[in-house]
Parts: sequence; structure tokens; C-alpha cells
Amino acid sequence: MAVGGAGRWFLLPGLGFLFAIDLIPLLYSGWISFYDWWLIRPRDVRFVGLANYARLGVDPEFARAVVVTTLFTTGAVLVEFLVGLALALLFAQPFRFLRPIRVLLLLPLFVVPVVGATMWRVIFHPEVGVLNYYLAALGLGRPPWLSDPTLALVSITLVDAWRTIPFMFLVMYAGLEVLPAELFEAAAVDGASAWQSFRHITVPLLTYIMLVAVLIRGMDAFREFDVIFVLTGGGPGTATQTIQILNYRAFGLGHMGEANAIGMVTLVLVAIMCFVLMRAILRPRGPRA
Amino acid sequence: MRPTRLRATLTGLALLPILAWTLFPIYWITTASFKTELALYAKPPRWLFEPILDNYARVLTNIPFFQYLKNSLVIAVGTTLGSLVLGTLAGYGFARFHFRASEAVRFLVLVTRMAPRMVLVVPYYLMMQRLGLLDTYTGLLVAYVSFALPFSIWLLIGFFVDVPLDVEEAAMIDGCSPLGVLVRIVIPIAAPGLVVAAIFAFLVSWNEFLFALILSGVEAKTLPVVIAGLNTDAGPLYGEMSAAAVMVMLPNIVMTLVLQRYLVKGLTLGAVKG
Repeated sequence: MAVGGAGRWFLLPGLGFLFAIDLIPLLYSGWISFYDWWLIRPRDVRFVGLANYARLGVDPEFARAVVVTTLFTTGAVLVEFLVGLALALLFAQPFRFLRPIRVLLLLPLFVVPVVGATMWRVIFHPEVGVLNYYLAALGLGRPPWLSDPTLALVSITLVDAWRTIPFMFLVMYAGLEVLPAELFEAAAVDGASAWQSFRHITVPLLTYIMLVAVLIRGMDAFREFDVIFVLTGGGPGTATQTIQILNYRAFGLGHMGEANAIGMVTLVLVAIMCFVLMRAILRPRGPRA
Repeated sequence: MRPTRLRATLTGLALLPILAWTLFPIYWITTASFKTELALYAKPPRWLFEPILDNYARVLTNIPFFQYLKNSLVIAVGTTLGSLVLGTLAGYGFARFHFRASEAVRFLVLVTRMAPRMVLVVPYYLMMQRLGLLDTYTGLLVAYVSFALPFSIWLLIGFFVDVPLDVEEAAMIDGCSPLGVLVRIVIPIAAPGLVVAAIFAFLVSWNEFLFALILSGVEAKTLPVVIAGLNTDAGPLYGEMSAAAVMVMLPNIVMTLVLQRYLVKGLTLGAVKG
């Protein structure tokens, strides 16, 4: 279209706004991370160089938070990926009531995260919760879902899975929908079993979509806050204290230098994770779906 | 049994547990909101009970629920309008005007969404403090527009690209300015896309918790923060908490049902196109 520079005027307001609102706080955050800066002492701000980072490096609580975040992120993404893929494959074959069931399965994705976590807190309640009532009735005891260190981590993973399996399902379902049907027909004519055509047609063609889904979900799980905050608040002790929760606590204590240093480290970790997955995604391979 | 029958049975068997797992929490909190105190804590759990509205009455009178509702609504509507205006302009810019690095810039827009919000909220808090915007609608609104915008832009590019070019060119020849073409020709054709973008932006703001928790005090407190507040007191407030939770998720459920046709296109963010 022969409009010349008009495009600039369409793009400028939105992009200018976006980069101002995202970049300025990030630069500011990086700057603050070099200072000993307490919220209650706004006048007594001292430059301390890398001291905030050095402290994080030797802080066992921070190391623990990195481990918890890694466990939570990998656990959640793995469960969501497997269940999402299974559902997508199930829905690839038409059946009765497919559409209404699909909509129902998507609902958790749209429930306000805080509300979703609240529902599970009610269900998980060790004494009055409905889950433990029936478990006890079956003779399985009353597991302390949110107050046992290991179980608490499992519980928040399950709730995150509840919330975002629909996303994994949707993305992979959309990927399956656009796979050429002729390929499967040809394979069937050649006598390929269901497993063979899954292994040799679906998986290679779907790899790209799968990686994109894992990337998006991985980034989201890494920075999950709402669900963990409502369900356990990082507890018991530090059992579910992810980097995000730790960062929130540092902020709550008014320790701005440290809170921003944690933020900067998070950013680097996310960037590394993103880089590794992007490389896997962009690696040249066969025809893309 | 014919193989199709068998397949249907197996599909049903596989779906049943996953449907139960998906829907049970929603069902349970919804029914809980209509239960009496007695029914809430009854053992065995009550599946049949006489519904009452007391919990709703209490939540509406005991806390300034309508004030919080107004806060949530004003901020969400503002976020929707802001991100629609900026998103439409930028989306159209990307869809129709190609320049060097336009692919890269478009990608950069997406990258801005990858920074964890926790990283942004701390410096953002200090900036809003300096500007005297803590606990105001503006403080939250500006942040939320920036959350919703990348998504709106990407979504709208997809819809604008589909608008037939010759219609636009005809309007240009008739002397329409580029902005005129966008407003009079493109927007009416791509209206469904704008509706989807609007609903998503609304939900981004409606659902947001972290920024609201940190930036709002009393004046601009939004509903998710209220729900989380009722939650920490565990036991005695289950009834009210459930009632509040149901009211807060109602718009989401309604909008999901409205949106269902566009969900795949919207949520996968064009990931499928590769």
C-alpha cells in the first residue's frame, strides 16, 4: 500500500506506551538493586554495588526457592502437558456431545485464579474438607494436603494443573486439527497401527506446537503467584516458597534493594529458560504444522 | 458390540474422571454459597439441601462489596477501552504497513509479556509512590493496559489481515485517510475480533491479583484481593467467601460461553500458524 510513513503513527502510541510501562520499571529495578534501600528509610539510601546479589548467592533460603520453583514448574508443566495431550488426542476423534463437553473442560482457565485457589482450599481442608471426608471414609486417612511440606508442593502443582490443563489441551487440539487427514488415511491403508501413526506422524508434526505450549506454560508456571499465595502463602515453612513468593516477602519486609535483586535474577533465569526452549523451537526440522 | 460403540464407551469412561475433576470445585463452591452454616460443615457432606441466600445477603452488607465491585468494574472497563484503542491502532499498523524489522518489533511486543509481574511490580510500586498514584484507579489501569495490550495487538493483527484489501483501497481512492479507512471500513468488518480482544482485556484486569494486592490499599481495592482476604480467616467465613467467589467468577463463566467460538484462535496466539 502506498501510504509511506503513515504506519508509524498507528504503531507509535501503543508501542511507546508498552515499552515505557515495561522498560522504565525494569531499568529502575536494575538501578535499585545496587542500593541498600529500605521502604521505611527513604532518605537513607546507600550504594552497595553487588552486595544484594552477593547475599542472595549465599542465602540458603534463596537456593531453596530456586529448587522449589524448579520442582513446581517442571512438575506442573509435565502433568499439564501429558493430560493436555491425552485430551487433545481424545477430542481429535469426533464423538457425541463433543462441543458442550469441550466448553465445560475449558472453564477452569477462565475462573479468576484467586477464586480457583479458594475452591481448592475449601476442598483440601483437613477437617471439614469434602476430599478428606471421603478419603477417611475409604480408610485412607486424612492427608494434611496443605500443611505437610511434600504434600503441599504436590497440592499446589495439582491446582495449577487444574487451572491450566485446558490451555495445553486447546493449543495441542488446535495443532491436531490442522494436521492433514490424508497422511493418516495413507498410513491406515498401509496397515499402520494407531500407535505407529501417532509415533511417526502426529508426534513429528506436532513437535513445534508442543514446544510452544511448553514454553508459554513454563514461563507462566515459573512466575505463578496467585495460586500459591492463596493456598499456602509459601508454607509450611519454606516448603512452597517459590522465587516469586520470596520476592514478595522481601518486598513486604520493605527491603527494596534485595527485592529488586531477586527480580533481576528472576529475569535472567526466565531469559535463559526462554532461550533454551526457543532454540529447540526454532531448530529447523520438517514441515511445520 | 460394534467397534464404534466400544469406542464411545471408552471415550466416555476416559472423560468422566477428567470432567469430574474439572467441574467439581466449581460445583462445590457454587452449592456451598447457598448452604446454611449447618449444611456447610455437615458430615457426611450434604449433596441435597435447602438453598438459602443468607450468605449473599451477608457478604453484600457486611463488607462494602459494591464499592469493591465498582473498583473492579471501572478498572476493567478502563483497561478494555485503553487496550482496544492502542491495540487497534498498533494491530492495524502491523497488519498493513510493513517496514524493516516489523517482524522483530512484533515479536518484541510478545517478549514484553514474558517478564514476571513480580519483577515489574516492585519498581512500579516505587514509581507510583513518587507520583502519588498508589491506591488509585490510574495506577492499576496503566499497568493492566500494558498487560492486555500485547495480546490485543497479536489477536487483532490476525483479524485485520483477513479484511479484504481491495475494499480498503477503494475507500482510499475515494479520498479516505488511513485513519478514516480504519474507522469506517476495517473496524466494522473486524468487529468480532474487537469483541474478543475486549473480553480478554476485561478478564485480564478482572482476574489480576498481584498488582492489586500491592498497589491498592482501601480506595482502589479490587475483588480478587477481597476474596483472598476472606480466605485467610478460613473456617467461619466459608459461606460468605463462597458467595463472594461465585459473584466474582460469574462474569468469567458468562464470557467463556460467549467466547467459545474464538477461544482457539485467541488463546493460541497464532502459535499454530507457526
